[in-house]
Amino acid sequence: MFAYLARKIWRDFQGEILALPTRTILFAAAVALLLLPLVTDDAYLLRIVATASIFAVYAASWDLLVGFSGQTTLGHSLFFGIAAYTAALLNLRFGLPAFLTIPAGALAAVLAGLLLSLPALRVRGPYFSLASLAMPIILMGLIFSFPGLTGGEMGLSGISRLAGTRTGEYYFLLISMFVLTLLMWKIATSRTALIFHAIREDEIVVRVSGINTTYYKILVFCCSGFFAGMAGSLYAHFLRVVGPSTLDIMMSLQVIIWGIFGGVVTIYGPVVGVFILYPLLEYLRIIPDWRMLIFAGIVVVTLRFMPEGISNKFQDLLERQCPRCKERNIFMRKECRICCTDIGTCSRVG
Amino acid sequence: MAEDFLQVERLCKRFGGLHAVRDVSFSVGRHEMVGLIGPNGAGKTTLVRLLLGILRADSGRVLFRGQNLLGKKPWEIVSQGLALTFQNARPFARLPVIANVMVSCLSPRASKRGEWVKKIESRAMDALEFAGIADMAREPASCLSQGDLKRLEVARAIACEPDLLILDEPFGGLSPTETGLMAKSLRRLHKGGRFGRLHSEGPAMIIIEHKLSELMKIVDRVIVINFGELLAVGTPEEIVANPQVIEAYIGKEVD
Repeated sequence: MFAYLARKIWRDFQGEILALPTRTILFAAAVALLLLPLVTDDAYLLRIVATASIFAVYAASWDLLVGFSGQTTLGHSLFFGIAAYTAALLNLRFGLPAFLTIPAGALAAVLAGLLLSLPALRVRGPYFSLASLAMPIILMGLIFSFPGLTGGEMGLSGISRLAGTRTGEYYFLLISMFVLTLLMWKIATSRTALIFHAIREDEIVVRVSGINTTYYKILVFCCSGFFAGMAGSLYAHFLRVVGPSTLDIMMSLQVIIWGIFGGVVTIYGPVVGVFILYPLLEYLRIIPDWRMLIFAGIVVVTLRFMPEGISNKFQDLLERQCPRCKERNIFMRKECRICCTDIGTCSRVG
Repeated sequence: MAEDFLQVERLCKRFGGLHAVRDVSFSVGRHEMVGLIGPNGAGKTTLVRLLLGILRADSGRVLFRGQNLLGKKPWEIVSQGLALTFQNARPFARLPVIANVMVSCLSPRASKRGEWVKKIESRAMDALEFAGIADMAREPASCLSQGDLKRLEVARAIACEPDLLILDEPFGGLSPTETGLMAKSLRRLHKGGRFGRLHSEGPAMIIIEHKLSELMKIVDRVIVINFGELLAVGTPEEIVANPQVIEAYIGKEVD
């Protein structure tokens, strides 16, 4: 029985992960991150990876909203900030433990998603972007006007820790990152995501195809809000400090840089983007004066040569699409691993 | 009875000072194929957009099986059994052709009527097969030629299994051979039957078209509108002989 299960898992593993180089790389990277605390106990390094995994969830949730359903929001930090503040307030004022405040924060972000979907149902394109930009600023104004409750500019501090030890926190964040992004990837490859794609392409046609676009737009806002909210409340418990910086416009713009750098409409693209760019920005602290300039230069040059994002570019380099069944194959193969069509001669699909 | 199926009463739509549709009334029977013709800018497309709820009418009534459609959302109207193909084909360009049709298959009406088909892919495939572009199913829709895009529009519309299919220039941009093929398949669809896993009870059709010679061969009745107003209703033979229609299309002889 166990032998059978083990064989089945091994076969699936071979077919689904080892067959494609990009998946193998992602898998190897995930294993490497899991093994990292065994190799080093450099607190700084572990902290960077843990923070990056929070931001990875945040960036992937942005991709779900903007990449998949085309609702270009410039105020994604609304979800992050509202969840962080909710988790912090519940933890500090009511003494709720982390395993309750994190879902509560996510729930608050879902409600924020409902709120943000109101303008999205009425205005489109750049007008909606501007309306969404205003949302976190309004919330920030509210936070500043009740300093007694929210801590004002100083924020809230003294939130309880996620786990007892530093390694425990690391594993908690890393594994929640894996679970949440896999969940998002599952959503992104489902039937529902097909409708999200279609809404991005042409909303009127989706309506005439008999799909209730209002429902699906609210749904995508709530989904994206949930995942961004999970990231926000994890952030609150990890940093143990929540300030207005979680609602900052930088927070909303950074996620766009990560997402576009990594490659939109993929879910894993923004995750890759975060895991490259966030440690890079931290590493550049060795030259503090030039840090931002070099960072911006690297981003601009990368996007000049890989406008479709780094993950898509590498996927195109390492894999080739079968012209017949549209399955991806490793670039060395002469014939498709699914349908045995000869793909050695045809050019790469760009 | 014609009165029970689709009945349009005194429908009006204004764009600012322009009366795009003015007091148009007509009816369509359950088993009819109706042509809707008129010179450019007569308001044909506006009229069908009003029916589908893409545009909001200013006044009038649209009764479909006794229920008023005006003021309803497009998806509610589609679940009642109407479907529309667009004049300028509007595919989801970056999605594969089959995904374009699967979106329609996911609509409540389509899933209710095809409960016994578990895989919507196969239903979408049947719609594509009917339209004749099943071989392109996995290509992105941006690869399709103009004629195939028109077919995609038809496939998308019939995937909802409508009772009333409104086609906005299905022959537009097609070569004479393609036009003939398309006309034939529309006629076949109208007769009804089973196309793979899609079941068609033979939808009634409203066809907007400029290629009159092709249109007249397949329709039972023709409605002519000009400047937003109903000009004439009748069989193809009557319409072709109607002096008012000829005047609207090619003008009057000047003495």
